[in-house]
Amino acid sequence: MSEWWSYGLADFLLFSPRVYFRLFETMNTTWGLAVVSALVAGVIAAGLAMRHGHRGNRVILVVLSLIWAWVSYGFMWQYYQPINWVVPYVLPGFVAEVVLLAVFAARPLPLRFGWRGDFSSVVGAAFIGIALVVYPFVGLFEGRDLMQAELFGSAADPTALGTLGFVLMARGTWRWLLVPVPLIWCLIASATLWVMDQEIAIVPLVAVWLTVFCCWLDLKNGVTTRRMTQAELVEPTD
Amino acid sequence: MSEIDRRTFLKSASALSALGAATALGGAGPLWAQTIAGQKRPDVIRKAIASTGEEIPAVGLGSWITFNVGNDMELRDQCADVMSAFFSAGGRMIDSSPMYGSSQDVIGYGLDKLGARDQVFSTDKVWTSGDGMEQLAQTQERWNIKSFDLLQVHNLVGINENLPLLFKLKDEGLLRYVGVTTSHGRRTEDVMAVMKNERLDFVQVTYNPIDRDVEEYLLPMAYDRGIAVIVNRPFRGGSLVEKLEGEPLPEFAAELQVQSWAQLILKYLIAHPAVTCPIPATTKPAHAAENMRAATGLLPDDKMREQIAAVIGVLI
Ligand SMILES: NC(=O)c1ccc[n+]([C@@H]2O[C@H](COP(=O)([O-])OP(=O)(O)OC[C@H]3O[C@@H](n4cnc5c(N)ncnc54)[C@H](OP(=O)(O)O)[C@@H]3O)[C@@H](O)[C@H]2O)c1
Repeated sequence: MSEWWSYGLADFLLFSPRVYFRLFETMNTTWGLAVVSALVAGVIAAGLAMRHGHRGNRVILVVLSLIWAWVSYGFMWQYYQPINWVVPYVLPGFVAEVVLLAVFAARPLPLRFGWRGDFSSVVGAAFIGIALVVYPFVGLFEGRDLMQAELFGSAADPTALGTLGFVLMARGTWRWLLVPVPLIWCLIASATLWVMDQEIAIVPLVAVWLTVFCCWLDLKNGVTTRRMTQAELVEPTD
Repeated sequence: MSEIDRRTFLKSASALSALGAATALGGAGPLWAQTIAGQKRPDVIRKAIASTGEEIPAVGLGSWITFNVGNDMELRDQCADVMSAFFSAGGRMIDSSPMYGSSQDVIGYGLDKLGARDQVFSTDKVWTSGDGMEQLAQTQERWNIKSFDLLQVHNLVGINENLPLLFKLKDEGLLRYVGVTTSHGRRTEDVMAVMKNERLDFVQVTYNPIDRDVEEYLLPMAYDRGIAVIVNRPFRGGSLVEKLEGEPLPEFAAELQVQSWAQLILKYLIAHPAVTCPIPATTKPAHAAENMRAATGLLPDDKMREQIAAVIGVLI
């Protein structure tokens, strides 16, 4: 449609920062137990992903799938959709992520998470750490209430950021299938925060670049394509 | 789809008129809905809509960003308070768009709460390259209103389909006025082409003491052709009043009995003979009342308007 060229990014800012951050406050107070449970599940999944072993791969994928389902229905549909008409257009992507994570969990050989000590692992671990611990509390420095914290597992931005971290910690040829949705969401999140004059807009943007770079690096180094050794394939018994 | 939506549009129109009639027969509406009904409102400056001669208050209310508060009940009530202050100060025109998120629902909520359906001059838009009728049916449902006073083609989107649709609704008596909108000085020539070729009642453009391009051709053309002008972004989205905050008002402002830069800017706009109604948006009831008060008292003459623009130009 020819008319669209005349729009600028700021034209699509439909709500004020006050209304946006109150969404998290309302969600956190209304759904406290679910929000805390999702965060704790995320912390456990992170712990499992950091181990240099193979147990818990399925657990991580199931947790992430459930978390994406909760973010899609809870935050995106119940809270964000009423103030942002873009949401219904991206929601099918979120549902696709839920399904993909579930499919990976159901495969006989799910993705293998673990610390590899390479650059991608460092970046992946950093994303998870930022999503779990840093992102929710940045608002405090800007004078926002603790109840407005954007928590991994319930808010879309830290969940997308953390998921990219989990993917970078994983091995498996098809792991890239899990990248586009959180990657695109990080771009949308960055643009939204940027037009709202929020400095944290830089975080999801940098995450996009680093993810693309790490995916390329891993492809080049054969991290995702190399066949796993027999030892790596065997589930430890301890 | 179009025919179904058309029927929905017509049906809800007649259902709502039936409801209106029933309320009228049964006497007053519910207690909570009487907040502004029967209230005495101050006299404000009115401007005529050239195509009919109908007069409307010279300041309206926008809803972009400010009224998009979703399902947050506390904020919805604050928006209703803004509407209440606006109506109580003599205001009538409220402008919205399907592009403004939940604003239409929030306006519907406020009208319900205040019982202000008879008071409002309802102004909305069609903004789609798809099925305009479907969108209008949804808009009407959100406002929960019998029919609109004015519908505009938002930023000329889908103009070839949407403008004929609006004219058709007007011809059928389902709509009173038709217009088009633009903002930020975009596509001014296209807007003027539409003004020249179509029988528009309204045009909506950006105009304020800094963005004055429309003064040259568009406003004179609107005046000559009898097209009413709604002014959007009178405060440049708020940045204009924000930058002027703390600056002393010029001495001549006392002559106009204005107490704030916001009022001075609105008086500057209202005083233009082609301008019908600026529509500042706000989240604050006090600002809504303050803005409406700009439509009282004296207005600047041409010389003073130039002084206002000059002073603001220097301070910005
Ligand atoms: N293409 C289009 O059709 C189009 C484009 C743009 C706008 N519009 C319409 O035009 C309306 C007005 O434009 P806008 O909302 O972009 O910008 P605007 O009305 O120029 O500015 C709105 C801002 O001004 C502040 N404000 C209002 N009254 C004030 C006062 N008395 N003192 C100090 N600050 C005051 C408000 O802040 P507070 O909340 O603090 O009062 C608000 O943030 C829109 O809401 C929309 O309905 C249409």
